[in-house]
Amino acid sequence: MNRDLVFGACGAIVAAGYYGLAVSIPRSALADAVGPQGLPTVYAFVLLLLSLILIVRALRTSQQESKTAFHFGRVAGMLAMGVAYLLIVPWLGYVATLAGLILATTWYQTRVMTKTTVVVAVAGAMVFWLVFVVLLGIPQPPGIWAQRF
Amino acid sequence: MSTALLLTLLPAAFGGVMWGILGGSLPGLSPSITMALLLPFTYGMDPTPAIVMLAATYVGAEYGGSIPAILIRTPGTNAAAATVVDGYAMKLQGRAGEALGISLYSGLVGGLFGLGVVVLLAQPLSTVALAFTPPAYFALGVLGLTVIASLARESLVKGLMAGAFGLMVSTVGTDPVTGLSRFTFGSPELLSGIPPILVMIGLFAIGELLAQSARSGVHVEIPERPRIRFPGPAMWRRIALPQMIGSVIGTFEGMIPGGGGAVSSFLAYNEARRWSRRKEEFGHGSPEGIAAPEAANNTVACTALVPILSLGIPSSNSSAVLLGGFLLHGLAPGPMLFVSHSDVVTGLFIGLLAANIAMVIVGYVMMSPCMWLVSRPRPYLMAFIYALVVSGVYSIETSLFHVGLALGFGLVGYALRYFEVPLLPMVLGVVLGFMVESNYRRSLVLSGGDHMAFLQDPVSAGLLIAAALVLLASAVHHARAARQRRAAGVPA
Repeated sequence: MNRDLVFGACGAIVAAGYYGLAVSIPRSALADAVGPQGLPTVYAFVLLLLSLILIVRALRTSQQESKTAFHFGRVAGMLAMGVAYLLIVPWLGYVATLAGLILATTWYQTRVMTKTTVVVAVAGAMVFWLVFVVLLGIPQPPGIWAQRF
Repeated sequence: MSTALLLTLLPAAFGGVMWGILGGSLPGLSPSITMALLLPFTYGMDPTPAIVMLAATYVGAEYGGSIPAILIRTPGTNAAAATVVDGYAMKLQGRAGEALGISLYSGLVGGLFGLGVVVLLAQPLSTVALAFTPPAYFALGVLGLTVIASLARESLVKGLMAGAFGLMVSTVGTDPVTGLSRFTFGSPELLSGIPPILVMIGLFAIGELLAQSARSGVHVEIPERPRIRFPGPAMWRRIALPQMIGSVIGTFEGMIPGGGGAVSSFLAYNEARRWSRRKEEFGHGSPEGIAAPEAANNTVACTALVPILSLGIPSSNSSAVLLGGFLLHGLAPGPMLFVSHSDVVTGLFIGLLAANIAMVIVGYVMMSPCMWLVSRPRPYLMAFIYALVVSGVYSIETSLFHVGLALGFGLVGYALRYFEVPLLPMVLGVVLGFMVESNYRRSLVLSGGDHMAFLQDPVSAGLLIAAALVLLASAVHHARAARQRRAAGVPA
């Protein structure tokens, strides 16, 4: 499917959803003439108009192959690892979860698990902990270990 | 400025240049991504060294990009693409060390030239600072948004849509006039809005990481380990003219929205060839073919500061991230910066001078680590960048919610790349949205709802006319380009 058509459709959906949220902002007695809904409503209309222009233009022109190929599965996997990090780090703690993230990302790209991969992941996580927590003094999630020890 | 602060600028400049050279030397990490990765680290620093470190990263990255361009025929940054032509040819002739020396020396010349221009232009611009009223700030925001039109090179509609997305993101949080919460979905973390830094890290760093994950890994071996050889007096004379050409082109391209290092490098290369007495050497290992683009892209790294410092408007992705650095430290770039934080501006100039000099020393020392880094397997590099991003974003406000937001914007950044939509318009919308809305509404409150207030204020009127002219020029440009495409039989 033509990418411009899809992007235009996505834009129109976002515009409609955003407009729905904008008009549901409660009215305030303190509001100025424009109000908190004023400019958001304008932005929604502008985006909707631009989306429609893009859709019409995409329908009128022939379908074009994009210059770049993208693999959604790999991208979704990478993103899932970030989300997994977010869910696990509060209880497993920074160092262990980060080592897991480095290990998983490397494995995901190579599909090969060696001793080197594990050592690099653990050592890398330790280096990050040293830099952020020890050297810069920036706290990272300690996890359940902080309560146990 | 205190001596203590001055002493903090030096390590900031050296550290920034070091990080920039490392990042720039890695193909796939643009200067903007390298800067975005550094942003969270600067959070705990004082504003002046933090801004200096970010600006120094930009300077270092522009040189760093030439290392793989010369050694492995792969530009580390877009701006280094023009250096590949003659740099790699010199490497094949066994002159890699000489090529790297010319690149470093020309970068220094371009950087110092650009810094001189910024210092000269900044002072006059600071004098208009006090003339800015709420209508003028609104008009400034509108002028900034019209820049989108010139940034959206291929599709004006898609660029404007990205700008609209950015404006929408800027409305999340507490309403600037009534204090009502908007688009927060009951989340207290969203009450203060979405910090632009999260949008930038998401769009630039995570978005690029996701896009690169779809490509196969590349393992590069560098058999040769050259030593940098700085040019002697005879070579200085030979490359003086191309350096000057590069510096002048870089000055204008740095200040023009959408110009940037890549465009200036190719323009400088082309002009240097046109004015050279040894045209036939270009493409076959001409030192002039390295000097011109390298001087140009390092000039851009400095002159890109002019629109940020004077108007608060970024002209490229890298300067948008630098703007994010200002905002992260509670500094509002623009006319008032010279009045309210003149020490930061002075510190930035001193820091940039130090950064350009540091580039020569650090560039020489960092040669071996850069070559080691470039030859690392890409999967490891990606894993460490991912770890750096999640750790860095969490550090800003020790918030996992922010990490989640950055990941979300990473997905948006990936989607925008997929649909071939420019990223900078969205960043502009996020950065300028609050300024436009708050000053528009404040102006109307002060004028009793009279829209003529925007035309009665001379600064506001001037800026609005400038915005209209920018839009008109862009419309003409896009119409002409569409006509040329139609004439060539290419669909619009």
